[in-house]
Amino acid sequence: MKQIQMTQNPSFSLISTNKIIQMSDVSTSYDSRNFALEKINLSITRGTNYAIVGQSGSGKSTLLKLMNGMMIPSSGTIKIDYISPNMNNKKFKKMMHTIGYIPQSLGLVKNITVLDNILIGALPRLNKMQSFFKKFPEHEIIEARRIISLVGLTGKENRQAYMLSGGEKRRVAIARALMQKPTILLADEIVSELDHVTAKEIMNLIADAQKKMNLTAIMVHHDMKLALEYANRVAVIKEGHKILEIGVEGDTIVDFQTGDMTTEEIMGMYADDAKK
Amino acid sequence: MTPKNNILIGVIIGLIVITSYNIDANPLDFVDGFSNLGIILEEILVLENIIDNTKYVPSALLAMFETLQMAFIGTVVGVVIGMPFSMLAARNLNSKFVYAPIRTLLAIVRTFPSILWAILFVIVVGLGPFAGVLAIILYTIGFVTKLQFESIETIDSDPMDAVSSIGVSKFQLIRYVVIPEAASHLLGQMLYMFDYNVRQSAILGIVGAGGIGFFIIQYIKFFEYGKAAVYLFVVLIVVLGIEWISVKIRDKYIVKSQHGMEVTAK
Ligand SMILES: Nc1ncnc2c1ncn2[C@@H]1O[C@H](COP(=O)(O)OP(=O)(O)OP(=O)(O)O)[C@@H](O)[C@H]1O
Ligand SMILES: [Mg+2]
Repeated sequence: MKQIQMTQNPSFSLISTNKIIQMSDVSTSYDSRNFALEKINLSITRGTNYAIVGQSGSGKSTLLKLMNGMMIPSSGTIKIDYISPNMNNKKFKKMMHTIGYIPQSLGLVKNITVLDNILIGALPRLNKMQSFFKKFPEHEIIEARRIISLVGLTGKENRQAYMLSGGEKRRVAIARALMQKPTILLADEIVSELDHVTAKEIMNLIADAQKKMNLTAIMVHHDMKLALEYANRVAVIKEGHKILEIGVEGDTIVDFQTGDMTTEEIMGMYADDAKK
Repeated sequence: MTPKNNILIGVIIGLIVITSYNIDANPLDFVDGFSNLGIILEEILVLENIIDNTKYVPSALLAMFETLQMAFIGTVVGVVIGMPFSMLAARNLNSKFVYAPIRTLLAIVRTFPSILWAILFVIVVGLGPFAGVLAIILYTIGFVTKLQFESIETIDSDPMDAVSSIGVSKFQLIRYVVIPEAASHLLGQMLYMFDYNVRQSAILGIVGAGGIGFFIIQYIKFFEYGKAAVYLFVVLIVVLGIEWISVKIRDKYIVKSQHGMEVTAK
């Protein structure tokens, strides 16, 4: 059976090796009544700078949580580098070490220093003794300092995290994720609340890291303009559905797909909005 | 005030009357016996008695020092032993199969007042402060773990989620997120526990488990109220002193960092 499929579609394996994230017909809900996401299909090529855009409550954060195993779909399948996300699966747990996740709330440990927060990203590389005595190897501390200067926090490494400004906190969260030596970076609206200049600085920083480390960056944005400016592909989520996916190269749209809905349905939704 | 509240107050007053009758509580006894207090006070407050009794102050201080040692060792060891149990009892860190039995165990430990532990350990290890220390340790474990796991359960889930998503071990999560996030609470609870254990240790001597209480009960037994008063006075001063110091420490280190937490709700 499998063999037949292969012969029928010889390019199948070639294409699929490039797909770091694949979701097919994924639905999930927080309660049993409403779907937070419904029948999501998407596949993300390794090294892409992927953006997810949508209104508040559309399900963007939920989509990210599915990508690092923090949420499990109620139906459909997800493959992250060909492994189904599952915290209890040793193989996936190992993969989590290299999935950088910057939640909307950032999730910094407030009462410890900037440096200590960033070193958390290196925890999976410590052995039991090192982590018991909080003894990070010298090269990890050097790496942490390199990342601190990369994100522009030099001089603040010994400041408690709660004493930082919003923008500085975001830089710490980014640094913690980079400390993981990530292959995938998930970032949830990390520039939405920042002024334009700082937002650009942070976006450039991630774009640089992405190119240098061959990262797959998946970033959630409120602002479509920002998404189009930085991303190669943009998915638009509305009310738990992926309605559009756009491929961008420079200033030109090279690919335009309607997602899980037909064009008429999308138009219908916008018509509804207009009526309201 | 609603009729429901009135009924509730009526019921409470009724219960007080019934239970008083049951335990033989009689206000008249109290009034009659009040004059006894006068006799004791008279003995204590006569000036030459006071001067005479000051010579017991050094030995009282020594006994109080033993009490403080008992409280200190008992608190530190109890808190240290209690900590892993608290981690296992916290619902946000464990499955039901882990926290439920641990909580039950701790609840059983908690049902014993320290004086009962003291009696038990006097039987096991004999009279003296060691029995008292063991009693304080057990009592501390039962009591402080409840404070600890409750505060662990209230820590912010955002950093917990963010760091778990890295795939760290549970030990690392506790060491690098849970303890730092709960540190100010845990420290505050330890101070509170020490405060409380000093008072308790002062009493445990009554059952022969060391400390200043042993002398106080001896003097009372032999109607030497003046000496007992000196010892009680030393307890009062030291307890007040410790209370004052722990308030200072709390203000300086704990309140400040909690303020910081509030500021950074985001
Ligand atoms: N913990 C939760 N419990 C119950 N429902 C939730 C929870 N988190 C999100 N939801 C619901 O799921 C839906 C999608 O939420 P999600 O957080 O993914 O939206 P979002 O697109 O990230 O929104 P925002 O832009 O405001 O962050 C919303 O309807 C929300 O109310
Ligand atoms: Mg969100």
